[in-house]
Amino acid sequence: MIKLKIRRQDGEKVWYDLFEVEDKQGMNLLEALFFVQEKLDGSLTFRYSCRGAVCGSCGMLINRVPRLACKVQVSELRKEPTNEGNSEVMIANKKTETDNNEILIEPLPNLNVIRDLVVDMNPFYNLLESVRPWLEMKNDIPEKENIIDQEMQVKLEQYTNCILCAICHGSCPVAARDRKYYGPAALAKAWRFDLDPRENESNRKERLEIVNSESGVWGCDTVYKCVAVCPKKVAPTLGINELRNRINTNKKKEE
Amino acid sequence: MITHDVIMIGGGLSGLRCAIELHEKGVDVAIISKVPPIRSHSGAAQGGINASLGSNDSWESHAFDTVKGSDYLADQDTVEILCKEAPDRVLEMEHWGTNFSRKDDGTIAQRPFGGAGFPRTCYAGDRTGHNLLHTLHERILRAGIKVYREWLVTKVVIEDDRCLGFVAMNMLNSKLEVFKTKATVLATGGYGRIYAKSTNAIINKGFGISLAYRAGVPLQDMEFVQFHPTTLWGTNILITEGARGEGGYLYNKDHERFMKGYAASSMELAPRDIVARSIQQEIDEGRGFPGGYVHLDITHLGKDLIEERLAGIRQICIDFIGIDPVEEPIPVQPGQHYSMGGITSNKDGATPAKGLYAVGECACISVHGANRLGGNSLLDTVVFGRRAGVHAADYIASLEEATDAPLTKALDSERTAISQMMGKDGESYSSISQELKQTMQENVGVFREHDKLEQAVRDIKDLEERAKSLKVRTEAKEFNLELLNAIELKGMLDLAHVIALGALVREESRGAHYRTDFLERDDKNWLKHTLAYPAPEGPRLEYKDVSITIFQPQRRIY
Repeated sequence: MIKLKIRRQDGEKVWYDLFEVEDKQGMNLLEALFFVQEKLDGSLTFRYSCRGAVCGSCGMLINRVPRLACKVQVSELRKEPTNEGNSEVMIANKKTETDNNEILIEPLPNLNVIRDLVVDMNPFYNLLESVRPWLEMKNDIPEKENIIDQEMQVKLEQYTNCILCAICHGSCPVAARDRKYYGPAALAKAWRFDLDPRENESNRKERLEIVNSESGVWGCDTVYKCVAVCPKKVAPTLGINELRNRINTNKKKEE
Repeated sequence: MITHDVIMIGGGLSGLRCAIELHEKGVDVAIISKVPPIRSHSGAAQGGINASLGSNDSWESHAFDTVKGSDYLADQDTVEILCKEAPDRVLEMEHWGTNFSRKDDGTIAQRPFGGAGFPRTCYAGDRTGHNLLHTLHERILRAGIKVYREWLVTKVVIEDDRCLGFVAMNMLNSKLEVFKTKATVLATGGYGRIYAKSTNAIINKGFGISLAYRAGVPLQDMEFVQFHPTTLWGTNILITEGARGEGGYLYNKDHERFMKGYAASSMELAPRDIVARSIQQEIDEGRGFPGGYVHLDITHLGKDLIEERLAGIRQICIDFIGIDPVEEPIPVQPGQHYSMGGITSNKDGATPAKGLYAVGECACISVHGANRLGGNSLLDTVVFGRRAGVHAADYIASLEEATDAPLTKALDSERTAISQMMGKDGESYSSISQELKQTMQENVGVFREHDKLEQAVRDIKDLEERAKSLKVRTEAKEFNLELLNAIELKGMLDLAHVIALGALVREESRGAHYRTDFLERDDKNWLKHTLAYPAPEGPRLEYKDVSITIFQPQRRIY
C-alpha cells in the first residue's frame, strides 16, 4: 500500500486528502492517480495525455519537486521524504533511509489553480507567444531542403526537445515573483529560433529586441533551477546566457 | 452561438496542417481540441515520415510498397496522391523549421523502414512527431489562428445531408455551446484506448470517429486494426520501428532470431502485421519470456548511434522499465497501435455529408488499406490535411446561409442527455470501459477466429445495455473527468461494435486482419471495403469496391 496525500482545491477552498492505493511493481505516479480517480474519488482532477513523458500534460509538484507524474515510479518515491511543511520548491529530492509510504502531491506552482491539480496554463502560453516563437522563412526559399550540418542539428535539438510542460516555469524563482517575466520555456524557445540558420534576419532582430528586457533575459536569476528540473534536458539558462551574449556582441558591433 | 467559417476538431498534425491552408486562403478558421494542440498524440510518433527524396527512389516505388503493404486493400488513386505529394510536404515542413536529422552533406537523412524497398523515412531522431507537431503549432501561432483549448465536442449536427456545426462542452466549466460553421473538419485521431494494450495516448478513445458515425456518416474498414510489433512490455509505450530500421534484432527466449522462420528475406524489416504475428506466435507457442514478451536487442549498435538516433527510446526504457538498451535487450510485445479504418472520406478529405471533412487517423481515405507501413501516417496527416483545406475553402465560397434551428435543437438535446447522466445510482464508466478493453484485447486481437469474435460482439452488446444506466457522481463543473469519460465511453462502445462485427463477417486473412479459421486472402469475395452505418440494432454493413489503377493484386511475400 502507498498513501497519496493530495492537495485539493475547489474555488477558494483548499484541503488535503489522503488516499490508499494498491502499489504494483512498475507503477508510476500517474497510474496511482488513475486508481484514485477510477476507484476511490471520481471528483479528483488532473491533466494527462500521452503517459509516456512526451506531451507534458501531467506536470505537478511531487514531494515538493516539480515533475511529470507519468515519468516517476512509485517505488522511487518511496525512497524520498515528502518534505511536507516545506514552502520551498525543490529541484531534487534526498533519499530516505527508511521506506516512505506517503507521497505529497500538489499542483505546479506559479500558475493559478483551476481545481485540484489542474492549473491555468493560459498565462504560460501567452508568455510563450510574446517572444514570437516561430521561424519566418527567408525570402529566397530553396527549391529543396536547407542544408544544415549535423553539428548545428544537434545544437538545435537540445532546444527543439522542449515539450512546453511548464515544469521549468513552476521551479523558477523569477516567475514566482514577477508574472510578466517570460520565463525559462519561452526564453529557451527564443534562443532556439535565434540559433536556427534558417531564420529571417529581421525576425531574429525583432525577437532579440523583445527579450532584451527585464521581462526577458535580464530578469533571469541564473540559479539554474529550470535546468535541473527539465524532464527533457533542455537547458533554458544556457540559452538565456547565449541570448545575453548575443545582445552584448551586437551592441559592441553597433558601437 | 460561436461562428467561424471552418473549424477543425482536433489539434494534431492533420488538423493544424488543414487550418494553416485555410488561413492562407483567407478563410476565417479556428481549432477546437480537448487538449492543447502540442499535447496531441501526433507528438508521440517516433520513427519518421516517408518521401521519395532519394535520387534512386521514385513515387511509383513508394506507391508500390504502400499498396503491397496494404495487402491490396488501399485505393490506388489516393495512394498515388499520397506518394506524389510526399516530397513537397516534407520539404515544406523543413522550410517551416522542422529539425530533421541530417546526412554528412547536410541534407535530410532517411532510414529504412519495414516493407519499404528504399530507405525513404525522413526523421528527426526518434522524436519526429514531436518535431513536426511543434513546427505546425508554431505556424498556428504565427498565423494567429484562434484555438479553443480543452473543449470536448459532443455532437456533430447534420441536417439534410449538410453539416451545420456542432455542440461542444467547455471543460473549464462544463458548459455546452453551439459552434456554427460552413464546414467542419474532424481530425481527432485514433481509438487505441478501446484496447487494454495500446501504444496510444490515454486520450485516444476515437470519440471523433463516433461523432461522425452517430450523425449517420459511414465508417470504413474498421476491422483493420494495426498492432505494433514492438511495444514496451508493461506500459506498451511505443518502441519505434526505427530501432529495427537502424539494425535491431528480435530474439526469443532461446536467443534465436526467429524472424528467419517468418520473413526470411526481410527479417526484422518485414511489414508490421507480419512481425506482430510472428512475435505473438513465438509467445503463444512458449518461446517468449515468462509474462509474454520477446527481446528487441540494439546493444550491438553501440552507445553513440543509440544516443544519436534512438535517444528517446533509450530514455523511455530507463524511465519506464529501468533498463538501459545500450547494455540490455528491450522486452517487447505487440500492442494496438493504429486504425487503418475510420470515417469514410475521399482524396480531399470530404465525407459523404456536405461540409464535413475527416483527415488523419480518424479518417479512412484508404491509403493504408489492410496494413499501414511505418512512416506513412505522418505523411498522411500533412498531405490530406492540406488537401482538405484546399477543398473546404472552395466548398464554402459559394455556400448559402444555413438555418440555426437544428443547432439550437441539438444543444437542447445534449443538455438533456448530460443532465440525465448525472446521479448517484447506476453503472460507473470505469468498470464498463475496463471490461470493453479486456474483451477487445482477448477476442479482437492479432489472431482472430469466429467464436472469439462472436463472444466479443455479445460482450459489447451487454456493455451497451449496461451503459444505458451510466451515472456520473461527480458534480464539479471544472474539469469533470468522470463526466468526460462517461460521455466518451458510449463512442468507444460504438466503435468496438463496428470493429468486432466487421471482423466477424470478413472471412479471410488480409493484412492486419488475420483469421486462424480463414488463413488465406480471398480476393474473389473480399477485395472490397467494409462500410458500417448506425442502425438501432447495431451496425449495418455494406461493401464497396477497391480502386485498382496500376498494381494488380499479387501474393505478398517478404
